[in-house]
Amino acid sequence: MDTTKKKRRIALGCEGSANKLGIGIIAHDPETNEPTVLSNVRHTFVSPPGTGFLPKDTAQHHRAFFVRVAKQALANAGVRPSELDCICYTRGPGMGAPLTSVAVAARTLALLWDKELVGVNHCVGHIEMGRAITGAANPVVLYVSGGNTQVIAYAEQRYRIFGEALDIAVGNCLDRFARTLEISNDPAPGYNIEQLAKKGGRVLLDLPYAVKGMDCSFSGILTRADELAAMMKAGGKGPDGETFTQADLCFSLQETVFAMLVEITERAMAHVGSNQVLIVGGVGCNERLQEMMGAMAAERGGSVYATDERFCIDNGIMIAHAGLLAYETGFKTPLEESTCTQRFRTDEVFVKWRK
Amino acid sequence: MATNTSTAAETAFPCALTLEIPFPDSRLASVALRALRVDKELSPLVQRTLATVIPSALSADDTALRVEYKAATNRMLRVAVNSFFDSLALVVEVMQELDEDVVESRPMDSG
Repeated sequence: MDTTKKKRRIALGCEGSANKLGIGIIAHDPETNEPTVLSNVRHTFVSPPGTGFLPKDTAQHHRAFFVRVAKQALANAGVRPSELDCICYTRGPGMGAPLTSVAVAARTLALLWDKELVGVNHCVGHIEMGRAITGAANPVVLYVSGGNTQVIAYAEQRYRIFGEALDIAVGNCLDRFARTLEISNDPAPGYNIEQLAKKGGRVLLDLPYAVKGMDCSFSGILTRADELAAMMKAGGKGPDGETFTQADLCFSLQETVFAMLVEITERAMAHVGSNQVLIVGGVGCNERLQEMMGAMAAERGGSVYATDERFCIDNGIMIAHAGLLAYETGFKTPLEESTCTQRFRTDEVFVKWRK
Repeated sequence: MATNTSTAAETAFPCALTLEIPFPDSRLASVALRALRVDKELSPLVQRTLATVIPSALSADDTALRVEYKAATNRMLRVAVNSFFDSLALVVEVMQELDEDVVESRPMDSG
């Protein structure tokens, strides 16, 4: 065996800040630092149509599935615990009970396997995985999910928030509207809204457009969309004097909120002098959003980068990757400090691994 | 004075429960202690102390986890203890299925 060959660094990452439990194992090449996904396993807690997922039930789901998902991740990677460098877990932001349920299990693994723990910011996980998968050099990042809506640009070792949702996240607006329409949450409410929206397009219903400078607001739009849904059920007519459908509502909601996201992203790009956009987070899977963002970026002579559902939906591999990047700079989380926090700003993280 | 303080504590948190959970060895009891004591109790109306102890039985080592709960009401006690059991069950399951020797003895490709 060549003993001068450096060992690749391997991390296991655990994610459970919302209703997805994800565990992934990543390797970093010792010479090139190239990341390789060794495994990425996820199980989603889906609540019945018309409902959302509550913290207690979600935490219970994560506890019930942790061992299963962890065993699968180890088996898929073909890695032994002794080969790991560290155990990474989502410190926050997110829902309290689900976050803590995963942290308890991660601590137990770290103690059993005698490995260090690394607490990771969920948003930074999305960003670093997006950068790694797409190879985008220094894009403006639009992070959009059920829990977060932020426009981010990197500057001097921080991911700076240039704009964000002032009330609810865009994904939360979509998810809650899916509950109003009582459409299925399987595989995700936003996915089903996207499919319905594709059948719309005949009419654009009037919804408020709420961009406020660099930021945007979605709760008023949701209220109006809910009102329109009630009107629809009562046989109300749209702007063209015809009745309208769920598909028309989904189409109109998407067009409105996505246009808002494109506007605040473009504003940040102009501010920063960038023409590249990286979209991360669950809402980033939406093809219409990617299309609209792509049109804007192309007009500016740039392009859009996006990942597929393995990486844009919450997952454990992004936690492993971001955690390993931090660990390689000497960062670790002492066991006594391995708590979770519901609020954890993206710019609180010192991004030591970048210049 | 000692008697006054303990009386005050008893009246503030009259509902109490002590549990002693046996583990196969002191290493596992210690792992459980360290994993579970990190998170603070969410409510100021609940107090919890955790320690590893020599169990009432025939062992010479700290192979048991003792947890003492004191709460202002029975309802708070019940909620806190049930939540503790949920976390404890997870810790035990992880020990059972994912301890290093358990994983090593399993064939590489089985989930």
